[in-house]
Amino acid sequence: MNERDRSSPAVLKLSQKPVNSLGDLVPFTNKLYSGDLQKRVGITAGLCVLIQHVPEKKGDRYEAIYSFYFGDYGHLSVQGPYLTYEDSYLAVTGGSGIFEGAYGQVKLHQIVFPMKLYYTFYLKGIGDLPAELLGKPVPPSPAVEPSAAAKATEPHGSIPNFTN
Amino acid sequence: MSALRSTISSGIIRSTSPTHSLLPAASSFKPIRNPCLPQTHKLFTSSSNTFSAPKRGFTCKSQAIPSDNSAPEKVQELHVYELNERDRGSPAYLRLSQKSVNSLGDLVPFSNKIYRGDLEKRIGITSGICILIEHKPELKGDRYEAIFSFYFGDYGHIAVQGPYLTYQDSYLAIKGGSGIFEGVSGQVKLHQIVFPFKIFYTFYLKGIGELPEELLCKPVDPHPAVEAVPAAKACEPHATIANFTN
Repeated sequence: MNERDRSSPAVLKLSQKPVNSLGDLVPFTNKLYSGDLQKRVGITAGLCVLIQHVPEKKGDRYEAIYSFYFGDYGHLSVQGPYLTYEDSYLAVTGGSGIFEGAYGQVKLHQIVFPMKLYYTFYLKGIGDLPAELLGKPVPPSPAVEPSAAAKATEPHGSIPNFTN
Repeated sequence: MSALRSTISSGIIRSTSPTHSLLPAASSFKPIRNPCLPQTHKLFTSSSNTFSAPKRGFTCKSQAIPSDNSAPEKVQELHVYELNERDRGSPAYLRLSQKSVNSLGDLVPFSNKIYRGDLEKRIGITSGICILIEHKPELKGDRYEAIFSFYFGDYGHIAVQGPYLTYQDSYLAIKGGSGIFEGVSGQVKLHQIVFPFKIFYTFYLKGIGELPEELLCKPVDPHPAVEAVPAAKACEPHATIANFTN
């Protein structure tokens, strides 16, 4: 979720062209909530490299390289396509903490460009995930919002030392 | 990347209001699996330089090794040509170091076309970024850290990271993939033919199922005049893979 309070994204129009073009870079960082929207878990952090504008789809292709931070649990790193006009799968390239040795892929589903995204991770090579990360997910819809407690990062609405 | 150099001013423009739009929820991802004949295994062996006195061999005997666990992990080879046909606005040389020589600070996003190793089928594209690390005047070239992906249409993609040296071959790490390449590991050899327009890759892939026959071929030997066959270049249906990435 981009709650517009992390100065993100930073659109660097380094191509110096009026249309989105190769050369534009977009560092970003947003907040991350558990799929049941009950707990703030941390943040995403990384870079989108604009590859091409896709006029017939009214959108853009990026190569995205970033991580998902889960507080004391560790992090997951990913790399792959971010298409502003359709879902995509990114590679899970590794992780730390409980995610050490992780591999697999993650499905990126954009709900509201570029403010709300829903991810489904398909993880291999790690132990059982903790229960508080495995709540029943809220189905994606444009109006989804985290619970008030999660948004306010109250202790019962966040994981231990959630990344900020 | 000497073909295109652009001087970039230090001004950074922030976009104003982001556009909001509802996007279709359906995923367009459709993996394709072709059963195919078992391929001959090629195990990659590196030639190592040995120095000074011979060392005692290190052996590890574990009594817990099951008898059926002695086979080395299967490695599959895949050959790909990356060709810059100069029609994708690539590379975008961002001279952010603001120095006249290639220097740390310069960034080079890029995206080129990729073809099957026999140059008869268009597969997709590469896309990513090269981070200039240092200029090597004695070698008349540069060291980059390259982070990019290879896109194989409906089959998925492979994400890599590692050194790009404009003056010699290198090996990059395979970090992962999607689709048929989900869970992939291994390394890829980068062989530059014509800097920076033609590169020949040999992937050494582990941890995935049998590659579809359509991706496997007897590669054309790298040489400066290599070009995709006209049908592949023109993306005629029989000379491309399904929904080749563009």
